[in-house]
Amino acid sequence: MKRILALAFISLMVTVTTACGNLGGLGGPTIKIGLVTDVGGLNDKGFNSLANQGRLDAAKDLGVETSVTESKKQEDYVPNLTNYAQQNYDLVVGVGFLMTNSIWKVAKQFPNIKFALIDGAPANDKGDTENLPNVANLFFREQEPGYVVGVIAAMMAKDKVGKATHNTVCSMGGIPIPSVDRWIAGYQDAVKTISPTTTILHGYSNDFVDQAKGKEVGLNHISKGCDILFQVAGGSGLGYIAAAKEKGVYAIGVDADQSDVAPGTVITSALKRVNKAVYDTVKAVKDKAYKAGDNFFSATNDGIGIGKIDPVVPANIKTAADQALADIKSGKIKPKTEIQVKG
Amino acid sequence: MTAAATPSPTGPGTAPSVRQPTAQWAQGPAVPIVSVLAALFAGAILILVSGSDPIRGYLALIRGAFGSPYNITETLVIAVPLTLAGISVAVAFRTGLFNIGAQGQLLVGALAAGWTGAQFSDLPGIFLLPLTLLSAVIAGGAWGAIAGWLKAARGVNEVITTIMQNYTVVFVMHWLLQNGPMTAPNAAGTPASSPIGAGAILPIIIPNEIVPLSRLHAGVLLAIAAVVVFWFLMWRTSLGYELRAVGLGARAAAQAGIDPRRRMVLVMFIAGGFAGLAGMIQVSGLFHRVFDGFSAGFGFDAIAVALLGKNSPIGITLAAILFAAFARGGTIMQADAGVSSHLVEVVEATVLLVIAAEAIVRALAVRRGTPAEAIA
Amino acid sequence: MELLLGAGVIAATLRLATPIAFAALGGVITERSGVTNIALEGCMLVGAFFGILAADKTGSPALAVVIGLLAGTALAAIHAVASVTWRADQIVTGMALNILALGVTSYLNYEIYGSGVPSGVQLLPALSLDFLAGVPFVGGVIGRQNVLVWLALVLVIVLQLYLFRTVAGLRLRAVGEHPRAADTVGIDVRRTRYWAVLASGAIAALGGVYLTVADTGSFTDGLTNGRGFIGLAAMIFGRWTPLGAAAAALIFGYGDALSVSLQGAAIGELRFPVQLLSTIPYLLTILAVAGFVGRSRAPAADGIPYESEGH
Repeated sequence: MKRILALAFISLMVTVTTACGNLGGLGGPTIKIGLVTDVGGLNDKGFNSLANQGRLDAAKDLGVETSVTESKKQEDYVPNLTNYAQQNYDLVVGVGFLMTNSIWKVAKQFPNIKFALIDGAPANDKGDTENLPNVANLFFREQEPGYVVGVIAAMMAKDKVGKATHNTVCSMGGIPIPSVDRWIAGYQDAVKTISPTTTILHGYSNDFVDQAKGKEVGLNHISKGCDILFQVAGGSGLGYIAAAKEKGVYAIGVDADQSDVAPGTVITSALKRVNKAVYDTVKAVKDKAYKAGDNFFSATNDGIGIGKIDPVVPANIKTAADQALADIKSGKIKPKTEIQVKG
Repeated sequence: MTAAATPSPTGPGTAPSVRQPTAQWAQGPAVPIVSVLAALFAGAILILVSGSDPIRGYLALIRGAFGSPYNITETLVIAVPLTLAGISVAVAFRTGLFNIGAQGQLLVGALAAGWTGAQFSDLPGIFLLPLTLLSAVIAGGAWGAIAGWLKAARGVNEVITTIMQNYTVVFVMHWLLQNGPMTAPNAAGTPASSPIGAGAILPIIIPNEIVPLSRLHAGVLLAIAAVVVFWFLMWRTSLGYELRAVGLGARAAAQAGIDPRRRMVLVMFIAGGFAGLAGMIQVSGLFHRVFDGFSAGFGFDAIAVALLGKNSPIGITLAAILFAAFARGGTIMQADAGVSSHLVEVVEATVLLVIAAEAIVRALAVRRGTPAEAIA
Repeated sequence: MELLLGAGVIAATLRLATPIAFAALGGVITERSGVTNIALEGCMLVGAFFGILAADKTGSPALAVVIGLLAGTALAAIHAVASVTWRADQIVTGMALNILALGVTSYLNYEIYGSGVPSGVQLLPALSLDFLAGVPFVGGVIGRQNVLVWLALVLVIVLQLYLFRTVAGLRLRAVGEHPRAADTVGIDVRRTRYWAVLASGAIAALGGVYLTVADTGSFTDGLTNGRGFIGLAAMIFGRWTPLGAAAAALIFGYGDALSVSLQGAAIGELRFPVQLLSTIPYLLTILAVAGFVGRSRAPAADGIPYESEGH
């Protein structure tokens, strides 16, 4: 047995050394895009998976070569970004506000490589934001889709549509940080504007993975009368939606269109087109139209939107939502970015 | 009483095997290497089935861990906190305590270091660095000592306490850094503390001319010192002798006239101190502030590191390097060879399984000539 | 008061305690036989994933339970072989299996479902006790709990009786306390331990199945989130008895329920920061153990591989 394994080992080594000669950079003029995800992993049901979707779309449509690296701990951000930069990738995309300092460090070390960061701008070692000529900051105005779905929620609660009989709406965030709270700020702003008598509840799961926790918060809100549950908590938010499904009320998804998570329960979703942002940035690099510094994705450039609206939502409310989106686009409505009903 | 493996952490204070590491590592390296290769072979088949090239994958793994000076420094950067956390777990194991709390103690140390470094940021390095280090060691130690005290005074099993403590720290850290008392005023949405002063930074020890971009900081020197301190403490001081006696069993300790409970608080303080030092190194050497959720998993991996390393200084260091190599090489395996990070985890787990089984099987092979042990 | 002891909170306690109880019960069985099984977290995870996968593909929640159970048993089988036959370090093996479970389930989750989730899966139903509908408090607490919650309850009682009132249970405990003595009277130590480890994997897997097939209807990578380890803590807290472990799980579940029900509550102007609320179950458990339980003792031969004559 030992002999066989030794032989296998030797043959493996031989194959390896011959294969070695065939490896080496694929070179050539193809554009190479590298994506470095946050610690949440590719399947976080949130910005990592959307960014990955953008990468895959770009690979398919734009004929670019892509690679992805999942960071397992925050210590990995710098070496993961560096790895792509060292290999002269044409664009290195980082995901998330935790990478602000890491991307600053690496972008400074590789001034000839183009970077992009989702949800953040480079921050120097003092912690101050410092834009760099080779980093594109991809920001989203999450309060805008939050506002539009808030319009739908407010009107359904006010008109007591379907199961929404208690005139109460609610939301659940993952953690209390601005990029989560902005969605909710818009949501609450819409509700307070359109239906001031509607009760607003808000909570947090303190987690982006644990679905059971999200479900508990949901059940808690439902027991207090909530009929429309807006989740902003990634994987944990799926539990929030599950609570709505179990109790026969409504939910609103986030980031991607989540209508097929629970058909009939999810009445719409607040979209953050991270995939589009990544795709557009790749395209910009390809077309030599890369723009460093702040790049905002909002209603004006279709960087945000709302997902499929369930048939239970009456036509007049759909119209109102479309109008709200148009008003935001034109600047007539500026949704708030601070939440009013805290969790 | 002899034990061929670590008895239950939950069991009465029995110690893990205290066999000298050299006996095992030196005995016929062929057998473990062949088993590891078998594990890698199985992994290769999985990688093949998943649609990637296993050879390219394994080459990337090796290259990522050791293939260039930069990569070697990156592996060491991970190995440093792992070694310290491993010592934290091992110190406790030697005394018959199961320190699952290394992660929480590490984070407490990091928070203390981050706070001290920022609070006194104007102090020169000659004062600030030792102050930061001390604050982390004491904070981590105190956090660990709580578990020790609860066990000594109230008989609370340290497994329960330390697991609960770990989670508590995580949530307290969330509160402190997500728009809380320790959040930096210019954080702009990133849950992080204020940057530490220049005096609290552990400098990069390999100049850029030799290894460009290297992040290897002076923490590696602290880690080496800690390994030596661990060795000296456990094997050259009377305290160490006492602790190991307690670890070998209550009966042995009683015969030597030692009350096991007396040292529990001290041991957990020491263990917490080592882990707290790991946290300080992450702050002072790498991040220069505290980020919510950073340094995930070290305390946990440290348990396997300590056990694989037989709770001995050299063993822990080698095991930490192995884990770090896998972590570092694994990311390159994904980045350069397209192997799913989850398959990398599967390969890692399989190798770990094989190594765990292997060491013991060979230990038994070594002792085959002796009469059957008595298990009291 | 409602926030602290209302029917809603107590009902939530039962829900939240259930997966932990399953893990703890699995732990009790294996540790009573003398084997440490840290891989309970992994068994829960594979139970959760393969359970929901089966529920999705076959449409039968009952079959899903069986498949989830088998998945947990399969993982535990590796642990059994490694621990009992190879006499490997049980903690390292357990940890390796946890990593394995995470890698396998995450990989398959991505391959099969991509970034989506299974939808329209028929879940395990709740047991509707309509005759309790009008009863205050009790009706709210147990009137609509999932069948797996009831199964957990039943399992606690069954295992308690098994361990302490049957000959088989006595044998199991003997193997854990005095394996050599047990061997001498003819009990097959290794076989008993094998069965115990397999059973623990199955029971822990039920905890995972609850999380997906009963509670939420979908799977996210690593959704067990440490419940297997909380279960181990509950086992120790409960002094390695099924009833004790269940009580410990309930205490933890209560704290967990409070961390949700107290969100938004305030004493005057002082609100509890939502992150600190999440520490309640952990602090409550420490307080409970420190206050009430005192010294605890594991089975004497727990975690020590057995070497019999002639091996």
